Amino acid sequence: MNRTSRYPMRRILVFAVVMVVLVGVFIVKLVDVQIVRASELNVQAQDARSVPVTVYGARGDIVDAGGQVLADTVMRYDIALSPKQAMKGPVTREQPDPADPDKTIEVEVPLEQIAAELGAVIGLTGDQVQGIIAAALADNADSDFAFVAKLVDTATYEAVKALDIPWVVPYEHPSRRYPNGAVGGNLLGFLRDDDGEPLAGLELSENDCLASEDGEVTYLHSLKDWVRIPGTEVVHKEAHDGGTLRLTIDADLQFFVQRIAEEQRRAVGADWATVTVMEAKTGRLLAVADVPTIDPNDPAATAEGDRGSRTFTAPFEPGSTFKALTAASVINAGKGDPLSRITADYRYLPPNGANINDSFFHGPTPYTLTGVLIDSSNTGMSMFGERLTDQQRYDDMLKFGLGERTEVGFSGEEPGDLHGSPGEWDNQTKYATMFGQGLTTTAVQIASVYQTLANGGVRMPVSLVDGCSTADGETTKSVSEGSRVVSEKAADETTAMLERVYLEGWLADKWEIPGYRVAAKTGTAQVPDGQGGYLSGYLVSVSGFAPADDPEFVVSVSIMNPVKMNSSAASAPVFQEVMSQVLKKYRTVPSGAPAPELPATW
Amino acid sequence: MSALPAQSIPAPRRAIDRLRILRPASEVARRAKPRLAYAIIAVAGVAMIIVAQMLLSIAVTQGAYEVDAYQIAQSKLARQEQQLREDLDRVQSPQYLAANAEALGMVPNADPVYLRLSDGAVLGQPSAADGVARSTAPLVPNALIDGVPLVTEQQTGETPRQGNTPGAAGNAGGAIPAHAPAPPPVDGALPTPATH
Repeated sequence: MNRTSRYPMRRILVFAVVMVVLVGVFIVKLVDVQIVRASELNVQAQDARSVPVTVYGARGDIVDAGGQVLADTVMRYDIALSPKQAMKGPVTREQPDPADPDKTIEVEVPLEQIAAELGAVIGLTGDQVQGIIAAALADNADSDFAFVAKLVDTATYEAVKALDIPWVVPYEHPSRRYPNGAVGGNLLGFLRDDDGEPLAGLELSENDCLASEDGEVTYLHSLKDWVRIPGTEVVHKEAHDGGTLRLTIDADLQFFVQRIAEEQRRAVGADWATVTVMEAKTGRLLAVADVPTIDPNDPAATAEGDRGSRTFTAPFEPGSTFKALTAASVINAGKGDPLSRITADYRYLPPNGANINDSFFHGPTPYTLTGVLIDSSNTGMSMFGERLTDQQRYDDMLKFGLGERTEVGFSGEEPGDLHGSPGEWDNQTKYATMFGQGLTTTAVQIASVYQTLANGGVRMPVSLVDGCSTADGETTKSVSEGSRVVSEKAADETTAMLERVYLEGWLADKWEIPGYRVAAKTGTAQVPDGQGGYLSGYLVSVSGFAPADDPEFVVSVSIMNPVKMNSSAASAPVFQEVMSQVLKKYRTVPSGAPAPELPATW
Repeated sequence: MSALPAQSIPAPRRAIDRLRILRPASEVARRAKPRLAYAIIAVAGVAMIIVAQMLLSIAVTQGAYEVDAYQIAQSKLARQEQQLREDLDRVQSPQYLAANAEALGMVPNADPVYLRLSDGAVLGQPSAADGVARSTAPLVPNALIDGVPLVTEQQTGETPRQGNTPGAAGNAGGAIPAHAPAPPPVDGALPTPATH
């Protein structure tokens, strides 16, 4: 019934041997593929079918105090082509058949026409596009890659895609955009175009908040139409967006202030001008104008020296605006009050050999401290200032925040120079430092001094950034109580004297703001030439605050070398316009009672 | 918990009794028929599994194409949204607003006046603004609004957009065609009301 082999054992043996050999071969191959060449083959397989794709994290926005966007990230595109492929011949394209509108015919489009079409879209001529192809091929006959346009916007990108040229590829390239142009451009800074590296301003100093992180994913795609195969996506690195940086600046006010400053700078032919608007009770900066101002959308259009914020980076000798500080120091030390009397001539020769002159001639005048400020008498100020020791005055300057960088920590901020310490002051400097010469401060430091006087003698830390909100949460700058610099009495009496300056000074009709009480002081400072002498031009300034009965806002204006109007009359209108705009914008109620009377002479 | 003891009750004895009375059945009767049925069931099962697998696979693949189409539409819409946002940001920049206000003949009044509602008192000194409209456009430059037409220069109902003008900022060496094509028609496009 059943056929059986005569040698069953032999058959089984042969079969077993064959099996062992076969399995052996399989095992060897398996080890070879899975272990010996595993990583190499893996890479090959991935390369063949999966593409690494960069997922861009968006760099954080910079917004103003009201949330208006000052800087944001947009997607731009670099257009590249393959010169090698371009030269391979005409491109076939489907067009509606002229004979039968329902059908399409394939037409061959020559390179010249394609190049002209592409050029028209990206703003080149056809010849220029062909030139790029030719140049790339001359460099390398096998060239497969050349950029034809960089950082084109979305509309151009769509237009390029619509052309559907097989050898043209667009690449994503995140870019930065500043919708308000030069508004706050001095503060924002800018990025390098090609790699997005922050180069200046807040973009640089607050990069920790703003910086994003790009991620990477790979996935497999179908060979023909590049459709992503489901379930093959591998996230190698998560992308992270940057945080949103909120400033204390108000964009509308900043625009207004920049406009006024630039208008006046051009009118008086000045080198540059800065205007600082600060909240008197908090030290928050509402506007910081530096003109000329960079438009960060196009940094190259602005001269290199004008691309930053001089408010922070350009120390100067402040001149007479500094007298308010000396007066406050004198009152704080109990060595005088607004009615203290001296008799000052136009020249004062103190015993130590210094030589102090006023900017105008006058005979011996019976000044009160108020009168010294109204007439801005250097000799009178010297007689009050010498009632204090140099060390006392120096300590007060430090308490006012001079000689060191402000809390803002702006990139490239300068600390100013108090001419070393009192030990290094020579006889002339000892007196010059009483009325703001022989030492340097930045514009923001002067604004901070006036903020201290406006705030009853309490200096608040200067702030430009309100906070940074990231996906992880919100960080807010800690609120400081501020530090007392001079007594409230000294601050209030100085304010009262500065009100008289505003009402009786020689610019009284130029800076009048009807309805408000204002405290202000002018300055016309000589500018060191860097070799121990002074230039012929002046730095003219006005600093002050309003309303004087309950100070809310500090405005400080500095104009460098106004050749057509070399006095603080150049800065007064700016102060007037900016201050009235600030009062109007923030709905400040006009003052009621008039300023207290203080006699200027006795 | 209460269900457990019930399950552990031993099976009834009857099963064992039935086992005892089993006896061999005739070989032919027991084997011939079931063999074919099993084979058919097994083959049909395998075939069904294969078909189901294929259908699932087709569905997933079809889904991938759908997902891909939606992703393309989404990125198109995202680009469109970005473009519109850029246009909006441009036209709401202070420079553009100020230039428009000036073009319409508006002038700023520097003297604030307030009316106190509690007693009707007028705070501040009212005065007329000086009637000179100043051109402040170049004072605070904004490369993004170069060439964007002011309200006074536009046709009624036209929304200003930079796409209409060549020489856009921010694209080194690039420019926008004189006649920008309308945004690509996408399913579920952003509704854009005609503004007048």
